[in-house]
Amino acid sequence: MTRLRDALNGLAEEAPPANLAGLADLAVVGYRRRRRSTATLAAVATIAVLAGVTATVLMAGPRRTPAAAPQEAPVPVLPAGKVGTLSHAYLETCLPPKGKDPLPDCVPDEWRVVTSAGKTYRVPQALGTTARNHRVPVAVSRDGRMFAYYDKDAEAHVVRDMVTGVETVSAAKVKEERLGVGSMLVVSDDGRHLAFDPREGTKDPGLLIDVRTGGTVPVPGVYEPVAIKDGVAELVRYRRTDLLFMPVTGGGRPVRFDGVFIMFSELAPDGRTVVAFEFPPGKKTQPEYVTRRLTVLDTRTGRTLRKVSVKGLPKRAGIDDATIWQSPSEVTLAVGVGPDTRAYAVDVRTGRARPVAKYPGRSRGQLVLPGAAGGL
Amino acid sequence: MDAHDGFREFVIARQQALMRTAYLLVGDPHLAEDLLQSVLVKVVRHWHKLAREGNPEAYTRKALVNQYISWRRRPDPELPSADPPERAVTYDDDALDRIVLRQALGKLTRKQRAVIVLRFWEDLTEAQTADVLGCAVGTVKSQTHHALARLRELAPDLMDSRIAQEAAR
Repeated sequence: MTRLRDALNGLAEEAPPANLAGLADLAVVGYRRRRRSTATLAAVATIAVLAGVTATVLMAGPRRTPAAAPQEAPVPVLPAGKVGTLSHAYLETCLPPKGKDPLPDCVPDEWRVVTSAGKTYRVPQALGTTARNHRVPVAVSRDGRMFAYYDKDAEAHVVRDMVTGVETVSAAKVKEERLGVGSMLVVSDDGRHLAFDPREGTKDPGLLIDVRTGGTVPVPGVYEPVAIKDGVAELVRYRRTDLLFMPVTGGGRPVRFDGVFIMFSELAPDGRTVVAFEFPPGKKTQPEYVTRRLTVLDTRTGRTLRKVSVKGLPKRAGIDDATIWQSPSEVTLAVGVGPDTRAYAVDVRTGRARPVAKYPGRSRGQLVLPGAAGGL
Repeated sequence: MDAHDGFREFVIARQQALMRTAYLLVGDPHLAEDLLQSVLVKVVRHWHKLAREGNPEAYTRKALVNQYISWRRRPDPELPSADPPERAVTYDDDALDRIVLRQALGKLTRKQRAVIVLRFWEDLTEAQTADVLGCAVGTVKSQTHHALARLRELAPDLMDSRIAQEAAR
């Protein structure tokens, strides 16, 4: 426990003793009073409207009745069998409505998947949050075919092939209590391997899981998963910054970069470079995801190959993440624009960005994009 | 059974935890009660649905933080009457830390303060914090960075290397 956390705990202990039973009653009474007033007003308004409508009909004759406001159809549960590849997954957080808006028809902290065809499904079998209210990650493979999630009843991860509908329950058991703050998950393109970090930013060791055999390879706790590609897990150790390319069978040597970098992409198709954003220590210099300048790094030498200013993003946009490569020269950036997230393919030679996907009303924190570590 | 008994039970069971969050956000016991009361009035409006399908505590926490941030017309209640004592005259480092932290939190913006409470007291991840605040993860990263930088100026002793490491993520 750090000193800041200790001090916050101490300060929280100074909160006045809550005795809100009476307050709860007041809230209920106030709610009922408002409901009655609203109902009375609604009745008066209805009578007035009916009178008005009757008068209008009598004066103007029959007219077409206005169409009823469209109602959102309830989101179906993910059916067994084939549903097609996924565009993304998201956690339905069911945010409180603003003002007097009605409560949205949703279950908070439930995972949903969206297919490439645009169909949305609820996935209630994928645990959204643990009993301790820690978010449980899911993952979508780079091509959107594999969907990995944690099943509470099986106490294990499950990988579902969305094209064939085949589900594989991992033989490697993971207790729910192991899923801590900022747990992370990545799934390989063939759905066979998972990289799992039980708690972001701690030395609690992670696991590379072979879903078919149940075999596991421990990952040093200082590393966090970024991606799995071609049988190699990309793992990052922040602060130094080191990147470790660890074969799914274990081993691998880390490379150290000169400087502090965050938001790493997967390994480029050239098998050598990655994109990240420099996070200069100290308070004077802004992080480069704010100044919109990406860095292309050589994973063999640790050297910075070049820095490129990203052009063509909306004015209000904030860069959230770098993920998979769209082509040998274009990397995907997840960008927050107001309440939405958008994906842009950015040319790492020119910095030119072109939009490739939109996720309206979804913050990056809710979204799991193909190939990116779920739980970001 | 009264349809709102569940709401009363929820309030009684979770009142102290919610009060602590409210107190850390506003730094004043009376305002903390006001904040919590105004949020509970909103919660009871949707209680049937929340109880049936939802996670009322997460909903209440989100509403609490958002209400605090949008409470713009409220005067700043924290008017420290004196500087914290010199280290040499106290034997209780924890008490001194609390005094220093209270003063420092009072000098942060509302969003920065909310980020500190959510990340380092509620122990939420950046993604969860972004959800609660309804903003991008990048915004949480930069808010945390700026909030910790400010705290480092105001209360350097409270900031150790592990916190700095988390800020660099």
